[in-house]
Amino acid sequence: MSASAEAQRLLPRPLLVVLTALLCAIVLVPVLYIVLASLNSDVGVASGEFWPSSFSLHSYSRIWTTADLSNGILNSLIVCGVTAVASALLGTTTAYVLVRYSFRGRLTILRGLVGLQSIPGTLMLLPVFVLFSSAGNYLGLTVVGTRWGLFVAYLTFALPFSTWVMVTYLRGLPRELEEAARTEGASTLVILRRIIFPLSLPAIVVSGIFAFLLGWNDVLFATVLTRPETHTAAVALSIFGSAQEGGALPVYSQMMAASLVCAAPVVILYLIFQRYLVGGLTAGGVK
Amino acid sequence: MTTLIRPPDKTAPKQQRRRGVTERQRPLWLLTPGGVLMILIVLIPLALALWISLIDLDQYSLRRWIEAPFIGFANYTESFSSGLLHSIWISVSFAVLSTVATVPIGIAAALVTQNAYRGRGLVRAIFLIPYVLPSFVVSTVWRTMLQPDGIVNKVLGDGSTLWLSGPRAYWTLVLVEIWAAWPFIYLMALAGLQSVDHEVHEASAVDGATWWPKLYKVILPYLRGPVLLACLLATLNHINNFTLPFVLFGAPAPDNVNVMPMLVYVTSFQSLRFGLSAAMAVVSLILVAIPLFIYLRAVRLDVHDEGGRR
Repeated sequence: MSASAEAQRLLPRPLLVVLTALLCAIVLVPVLYIVLASLNSDVGVASGEFWPSSFSLHSYSRIWTTADLSNGILNSLIVCGVTAVASALLGTTTAYVLVRYSFRGRLTILRGLVGLQSIPGTLMLLPVFVLFSSAGNYLGLTVVGTRWGLFVAYLTFALPFSTWVMVTYLRGLPRELEEAARTEGASTLVILRRIIFPLSLPAIVVSGIFAFLLGWNDVLFATVLTRPETHTAAVALSIFGSAQEGGALPVYSQMMAASLVCAAPVVILYLIFQRYLVGGLTAGGVK
Repeated sequence: MTTLIRPPDKTAPKQQRRRGVTERQRPLWLLTPGGVLMILIVLIPLALALWISLIDLDQYSLRRWIEAPFIGFANYTESFSSGLLHSIWISVSFAVLSTVATVPIGIAAALVTQNAYRGRGLVRAIFLIPYVLPSFVVSTVWRTMLQPDGIVNKVLGDGSTLWLSGPRAYWTLVLVEIWAAWPFIYLMALAGLQSVDHEVHEASAVDGATWWPKLYKVILPYLRGPVLLACLLATLNHINNFTLPFVLFGAPAPDNVNVMPMLVYVTSFQSLRFGLSAAMAVVSLILVAIPLFIYLRAVRLDVHDEGGRR
C-alpha cells in the first residue's frame, strides 16, 4: 500500500511542500487582505493598514446605504435565476434531440454551440443594443433598462452554453431505458419528462448554475443595458469605486465588504455543487 | 479531403434508416423552441452586427438604423487608422503572455495535489478560489490594492509607483489575469493526470526512475493534450476578457492596455460610432476564429461515432 503510494509520488517531498505553500500564499494573501480590509474602517484601509487597528462590522452595515447594493443583488438574482431556469430547460430539450437523433445540419449546430461560447461579448452586445434601442421607435417597446431586456441579452450566451453542457452529459447516458419505454409505447414527451429529466437532474442543475454565473459575473451587458433601478450587483459594486471620487475619503473598506457580499452567492453555489461544477468546468471549458 | 478520410459514414445513415424506429419518428419539432430562440437572439443579432459594420450608424441614426446610409467597407478602412492594429497587438500579446505564464503554475498545482495527503481537499479548494471569485470582484479588489496609496505600494515601501496608469499598467493587466486564470489550467492538467494509469507509476518505479526524468519523460506527455486544449480555451478567454481591463482601468483605458473589447466598447458606447465599432468587433471575431477553428477540430463533436447503437 505505502510502497504503491510511494511509487505514485510525483514530486520529492520538500519541493511539494514548498510549491504548495507558495501557491497557497499567492492565493490566500490577497484573499486575507480583502477580509481584513472589509473588517477595517475606511480610514484604516486608506492609510494602508494590512492588519486593522480595530475590527468592526461597520462596513458591512454601511454598504447598503452607500450604493443601492440590495437592489442590485435582487435584480441579479431575478434576471440570472430566470436565465438559468429557461436555458437549462430549453437546453436539455434541444440537447436531447441533438444527441439522440441524426439529421442534416446537426454537426453544424454542434459546432455553432461550441463556437458561440467564444464570440466576443462586444460583438454580441452591439446589435442587441441597436435592436433594443430601436424597439422603442419601431415597435413602441421600452427594452433598454428593463430586466427582461437583460434576460434576453444573457440568453444569447447562456442558452448555447447550457445546451452544450447538456450535450456532453446526455451522450454518456445509456439508451436502454428510453428504448424500453418506447417499446411500451411512451411518447417522446413522456420519455423526456419521466426518464431524461429525472436521470439528468444533476447535469440540468449544473447547466443552470453555469447560466446563472454567466449572468452574475457579467459587467459588459449590465453596464450598457441597465438603468439605476435595474442595476445588477456588478454595476452596484462599481458605484463604490466612483463614490470615492466625489467624497474626500475613498470607501475602500466598504468596497471590500461589498466585493465579498457579491462573491458570496457564487462561492456558496460552488461549495454546494463543487463536485459537479468542477467536472462541468473541464467539460464545458468556459468559466 | 474529409470524404476521403471517412468513407464508412456514407453507409452508416442507411443502416440507421433501415433499422430505425428512432429514425422514422425523429421528434425534430422538439428543436423548435430552442432553435427558434437561438435564431432570434443569436443568429439575427450576429447578422445584424455584420450589417451595422457596413453602415454609418451613430447616435443620431441609432433609433432609425434601417435608414442609416450604406457605406460599404469605409468603417473597416477607418478602423485601421483608429488604433485597431495597436489594440490587436495588445490583445494578442496579453493573451499569449497570460496563457504561457499560467501553464507552469497550473501544472505545478496539479502535480502537488495529485498524491493524496491529509488536508489535500482544503488545498484543492484554495486553488480554486481565484477562479470561483467573480471577475468583477477580482478586478475591484486588485484595483483597490494597486492604488497609489494602496496596500501594494505600502508593502513595497514606495508610495509613488503607478500600477493602474503609465507604462506599468500593461504588466498589471497581465499579472492580475495570471492570478485569476491559472486555476483553469490547473483543472485541465488535473484531469489529464488522472488519466495516467496505475501501471505507469509502477513501471517507472521498477525502472528506478527518479522524479525528474519520470515527470519529464513519462508524466508530462500525458498532459500535453489536455493542457494544449486548455491553452486554446484560455487564450480565447483572455482575448475576450472585457471585465478585467474595464474594472481595473475604467473606460477609456490607458493606451497601453487598450485591448480589443475595450476599444470596441469605447468606440460604440462613448464615442457612439456604432458602425465603426461593429467593424472592429467583426475584425476581433476573425482574431478569435483562428484559435476557435483549431479548438473545433480538436474537440469531439459527433456523438454517433462512439459506442452505443447506431
